[in-house]
Amino acid sequence: MLYDLRHSDLRVRWLVTLLLATLGTSYLFGAWMVALYAGFSPRKVAETYGPVGEAVMSMQMPPDTTVVTERPVSMAEMGEEMHHVDRDLLVQDTHVHMPMYAVIAAALSVITLGLTLPRWGGLAIITVLFAAPWLDFAGMWLTKLASPRFAIVTLAGGWAMALGYTIVAVIATYQMWWRKS
Amino acid sequence: MKTLLLGAVTAALLHITPTVVLVKRQDAVNRLLPGADQFAAREVHVSSADSRRVHDAVGWEPPDGMVTFYVGKRQDQVTGALMFMRVDCQHGPLELAVGFGPQGTIRGVEVTKATVEMKPWVLEALRAGLTDAYRGLALDKAPAGAEKVKPRVGAMPVYMAELVDKGVMHAAAAYRLFYK
Repeated sequence: MLYDLRHSDLRVRWLVTLLLATLGTSYLFGAWMVALYAGFSPRKVAETYGPVGEAVMSMQMPPDTTVVTERPVSMAEMGEEMHHVDRDLLVQDTHVHMPMYAVIAAALSVITLGLTLPRWGGLAIITVLFAAPWLDFAGMWLTKLASPRFAIVTLAGGWAMALGYTIVAVIATYQMWWRKS
Repeated sequence: MKTLLLGAVTAALLHITPTVVLVKRQDAVNRLLPGADQFAAREVHVSSADSRRVHDAVGWEPPDGMVTFYVGKRQDQVTGALMFMRVDCQHGPLELAVGFGPQGTIRGVEVTKATVEMKPWVLEALRAGLTDAYRGLALDKAPAGAEKVKPRVGAMPVYMAELVDKGVMHAAAAYRLFYK
């Protein structure tokens, strides 16, 4: 153990607690945002990140000649925006989110280093913390470039992120404020 | 720890601010397709060759090979069409609604979305009459909204106007090449 959160100064424990609370709140809003814009099922994720939504899941390659289809729509349908992330937006999303995810994973990893855990336990948690964003974005890119079936990888990344945070938050809170010896 | 904090601050500064709606899509439809009481979505799945053609023309390709025009009709007569066009920049995305009249000229442009950071710049450009510059513009003419507002606004609103010009140019090219 590089340092011991259980016996650290009150200010350090307070800092870690507030950091975990803030990250937890942002994760809750993150989950809400995912529900609004992407969904929690592989099908919804594939529609969001796949070629152009479900309509063309069977038409991933560009057609040989340009194809035009027309269907009636209501005013409400035009107003409704189907949130679709195309390649350019995904480039932008990856660029702005990956550094932030890395910083969050690093912060949670630093907290993990102060927990009383077996070495393999710490390694496993740190791996999960960093694997989650990789899985998240790898899933998005593979869904776009390879097959909508890879949407499951993005979902796995999202759940891994939640799992990693929950493990660190629960163990850290318990060890800092309850299990002092 | 110092590196970590520096990294966090850098990441926070790089983060794009959330998107805000400036004009609801339905209001944009009402303004750009006035009088229409029936609507159709014309979805164009663009071939690689046509994608290259539009790229050669204006340096833009339809995202994921798809363009959607919303066609407005009244008593089965086409009154116009519009498309929603996204323009990306390092401050985030802008969304425009670009309307076309039945004669094939631009009827009007609405900026429907921007990010929190970009909103004041966009509003300043709009107040300076940015979208007036596009009304009645022929499809083969280069949009010059930024030139129009330049003497009256600051650098960032001019930059926003340049982005709107770019979006209008892309939409006009898509209409010219794919709306049949």
